[in-house]
Amino acid sequence: MIRAAAIVAMTLFFGTLEGFAKSDESLVTELSSQTVSIQSNFTGTEIVIFGQAQEIQYRPDTDLDYDLVIVVEGPPQDITTRRKGRLLGVWVNREAETFSNVPSFYAVASTADISEIAGRALLDEHAIGLNHINLAVSGESNVSLSDRDDFRRAFVRLRQDMGLYSERETSITFLTETMFRTNIPLPANIPVGDYVVKSFLFHEGDLIANTNDHLRVAKTGFEQITFELAREHSFVYGVLAVILAIFTGWLAGVIFRKD
Amino acid sequence: MSAVFRRSPVQLYLPIAEIPVNIFVIFGMGGAVGFLSGLFGIGGGFLLTPLLIFSGIPPAVSVATVTTQVVASSASAVVTYWRRKAIDLKLASVLLAGGISGSLLGVILFDVLQAIGQLDVVISLSYVTFLGTIGGLMLVESVRAMRRRRSGEPPRARKPGQHNWVHGLPLKVRFRRSKLYVSVIPVVGLGAAIGFLGTVLGIGGGFMMVPALIYLLRVPTSIVIGTSLFQILFTMAAATIFHAMGTKTVDIVLAMTLMVGGVIGAQFGARMGQNLRGDQLRLLLALLVLGVGLRFAVDLLLVPEDLYSIAIQKGAGL
Repeated sequence: MIRAAAIVAMTLFFGTLEGFAKSDESLVTELSSQTVSIQSNFTGTEIVIFGQAQEIQYRPDTDLDYDLVIVVEGPPQDITTRRKGRLLGVWVNREAETFSNVPSFYAVASTADISEIAGRALLDEHAIGLNHINLAVSGESNVSLSDRDDFRRAFVRLRQDMGLYSERETSITFLTETMFRTNIPLPANIPVGDYVVKSFLFHEGDLIANTNDHLRVAKTGFEQITFELAREHSFVYGVLAVILAIFTGWLAGVIFRKD
Repeated sequence: MSAVFRRSPVQLYLPIAEIPVNIFVIFGMGGAVGFLSGLFGIGGGFLLTPLLIFSGIPPAVSVATVTTQVVASSASAVVTYWRRKAIDLKLASVLLAGGISGSLLGVILFDVLQAIGQLDVVISLSYVTFLGTIGGLMLVESVRAMRRRRSGEPPRARKPGQHNWVHGLPLKVRFRRSKLYVSVIPVVGLGAAIGFLGTVLGIGGGFMMVPALIYLLRVPTSIVIGTSLFQILFTMAAATIFHAMGTKTVDIVLAMTLMVGGVIGAQFGARMGQNLRGDQLRLLLALLVLGVGLRFAVDLLLVPEDLYSIAIQKGAGL
């Protein structure tokens, strides 16, 4: 399925390259699909990003002066990170730190180590790399300043464990001298919403071109109906759940009737 | 995380929990708990909710979804008791009035605890307390009963018509079916307490309701189970709706899978239960209850594998 979609996308992409080849665009990118749909059999998927960077002349076994970075970012969330401590012998959540407007999903693919691609200021400005995401804390917090970095590190680690944050260096491969592709895995627990795929082209530490593509992750069919009903018409959803339960129970009572 | 999340050909995506689970594992859990509930004549919520939590389903989703599952399992049994006319509708209605208010309070507390990040620990502590106490009492009682049987000593008969403090309270009402004339205060209070606990912990509460009705209110044993089930059915129905509207954590797909497994398992359990003696059953149940309680206690007392945890407050996926 993914492979077939990728081939179709590639054909389309290469078909339109004729046009791009003569334009002044130094970087063009395209996604294998504009939408990811979540259905009942969804166990995660991946998207393929294709692109062409005209100025690159990629040759195997030679050093490349150019670097590419592709960032996939999910819709923002406010996320609280909590730390357990002992209270009367029992482990309970003691301190909490809330990070506001952090990406719900964040994946980076690049041609080299992020730290070697550009200076810290530039990476911070564009939020490139797990060490450079803006993790702004909310005003109220009982965490001491010296512990704040521990919470940041724990937050990124937990998101990585969930497969929602990732940094995969040298995961962009070249198909021809100027054309590249990369796969970004999307795990089963990805949040729905509008995603942005940001591609950056660097030359010796300077950002020379960037593009933005949009990706939509949405539930479809039964999953969408159920999810929306539960969110928008929660009373109806609750009543429906009760009716379904009573019916199932009653049916079982009738089927397995002993007397 | 755990076995439920391992990839397999039969993955089912839960639309509210937003995770894929193995449909057979969930179905099996429903079946196993259904079997035990049929065997012991209990609702099984206090086993199913922990099982879901231990297998990695978020505690909030586990609790809310089991309230729906309890509706199905008690509906199944209520049909039988209805046919036998073994339900005191008036007593059940008064209990229910308390139950619904208790359930509403429970959902409000649930929401508050979730917001301040203390829900999981409160659920665990409550399970340790209740399962520990009830399991302990049951263990002592069943061991005594077994000893008595071995020594051939007849069980001490309870004196009929014995009154306790409950019968001195005002606002008395007559419940004809149960041959009772008691104050509505303890009845509403009992309903509210069970409704509250059931909603916060994801349990029907039959294992607390039945002894309370017998020992506290002196409801005849022939009516007690049907009445308790009837009250649990509607309290849990209210809890499902409150959870759906308040915490929004009722997962209908998870509930459906558990229900189908549960009602099938219960049939086999009920058949097997007929071949076991009462005191043996109670001893087994006591050990099971204590085991689940111990598991929660261990999780609370041991140094956690990870001190940190995260929770989404706002934005995508909420």
